Amino acid sequence: MGNIRENRLVHLIGIGTMSIAFLIFYAFILVFVNINYWTEKQGKTLSMSIYFKEEPDSAVIENIKKELFVFPGVTVKQFVSKDDAMKSLRRKLGEKAGLLDGLKQNPLPASLEITLSRDKGGDNLPYQLKKRLEKSSVVDEVHYTQEWIKKFQAIMEVIKIVGVIFGGLLFLAALFIITNTIKLTIYSRKEEIEILKLVGATNCFVKIPFMIEGSIQGLLGGAVALFALFLAYIIAITRIDISIGFASFNIVFLSPYIILFLLLMSVIIGFIGSTISLGRFF
Amino acid sequence: MIQLFQVYKNFGSKNPALLDINLTVKKGEFVFITGPSGAGKTTLLKIIFCAERPTSGNVLVHGRNLNRIKERDLSLLRRRIGVVFQDFKLLPRRNVFENVALALEIIGFPLPMIRKKVHQTLRYLSLTNKEGYYPPQLSGGEQQRVAIARAIVNNPLILLADEPTGNLDPDLTMEIMALLKEIHIRGTTVLVATHSKELLKGTTRRIVTLNKGRIV
Ligand SMILES: Nc1ncnc2c1ncn2[C@@H]1O[C@H](COP(=O)(O)OP(=O)(O)O)[C@@H](O)[C@H]1O
Ligand SMILES: [Mg+2]
Repeated sequence: MGNIRENRLVHLIGIGTMSIAFLIFYAFILVFVNINYWTEKQGKTLSMSIYFKEEPDSAVIENIKKELFVFPGVTVKQFVSKDDAMKSLRRKLGEKAGLLDGLKQNPLPASLEITLSRDKGGDNLPYQLKKRLEKSSVVDEVHYTQEWIKKFQAIMEVIKIVGVIFGGLLFLAALFIITNTIKLTIYSRKEEIEILKLVGATNCFVKIPFMIEGSIQGLLGGAVALFALFLAYIIAITRIDISIGFASFNIVFLSPYIILFLLLMSVIIGFIGSTISLGRFF
Repeated sequence: MIQLFQVYKNFGSKNPALLDINLTVKKGEFVFITGPSGAGKTTLLKIIFCAERPTSGNVLVHGRNLNRIKERDLSLLRRRIGVVFQDFKLLPRRNVFENVALALEIIGFPLPMIRKKVHQTLRYLSLTNKEGYYPPQLSGGEQQRVAIARAIVNNPLILLADEPTGNLDPDLTMEIMALLKEIHIRGTTVLVATHSKELLKGTTRRIVTLNKGRIV
């Protein structure tokens, strides 16, 4: 591997370019994986908010909970008091929270956040539950997100198809960029290859080091890209609070299996890339 | 050993670089190929080790027709032919030792054997103290000797030397010529291309003269 030392700049440029190509591809996969994860989760569970007319005391809450537990597939997530709701609103408003200072009293209702499992409860449960809870004298309103999710799921199907096509195109683009990057490395050593052949080196003798190099470049490029993506992910989850409708969206990173798969793929892309570039050269 | 039959080489210009070349060099012969610059000497050598293909005609080297030789066999054949290139063709990022070792590395010699043979050859060419130098750090004459070392380190059957004294002062020229003679005595077929009339003075060797691509 003395070669890697020899052409350090060309290699750095090569690995840099590959990293960017991989990063775009991996970022796309991350988004795709998250969309997938989220729809799957949302498809199976449904969140429901029970709003109270007034701030309930613990006995009232316990009563409601008892009533809820009769139904299968109900999980109580948390109770949000009027104060909690206000705090969370202030947090969301950030700098503009000052707008709330003028209020004489807190207009936000207290609520109980629950989730229902579609598998256990059946399709009709949310509606039944809403009907029943709204009869209670302490409950003001019950909201749930099913309607919206249904529409959303149809869109997701489309996004999935578009995603696979787009992902495939990105893959080809990455392969193209990487092939050309490797070609650059090979061209920078064109003379060396020629001399090797003139003194009697076989094609294999000349090609194999380039293939190994291409694979290593691919691996390094992939690793750098994954690392950059991970940093971006860390920044995203600490700085950005993404919420859509009632369902908060927590971003997941790629699973170890996917990471392993992507690293393996970057090695393979590096290998294929160098083979393609060499094929045109010989 | 080396036979050329009605060889033509045209690079696309009006005048071919070689035309109607018929030449036989027997095993163990020492032949000078001479003629003015541009006569086709380099092209002739290139055709013999298949760096260029003739436009028409046949070339037989060591019993193999170069028009029909397979990629792999060509590599094997080239290992039996040592070439001293007019422009040396040394690898600038490898030192003297590594440049000479290259000819053995590609064959897959074991490392201790490579070391032994390279050291022997470098001593033979008085390059021992330059072993760790890189080609750009060497004078023209030293680079020429490294090129010769690489060409002979594997005891080739045929040695093709293109202007091997082109960069040398008279003393070194005589030294290199003595060296080539020695290699010849050891049994190698030697072809030396040179435009220098000086070099041919008083020689009893066979001389093939080229002019405008023809043997005269
Ligand atoms: N690769 C090439 N492309 C085009 N013309 C070439 C090439 N190599 C040699 N020639 C031409 O062929 C002729 C013979 O060149 P060469 O064999 O190098 O002559 P010599 O070695 O006797 O000086 C010259 O006219 C040269 O310009
Ligand atoms: Mg010449």
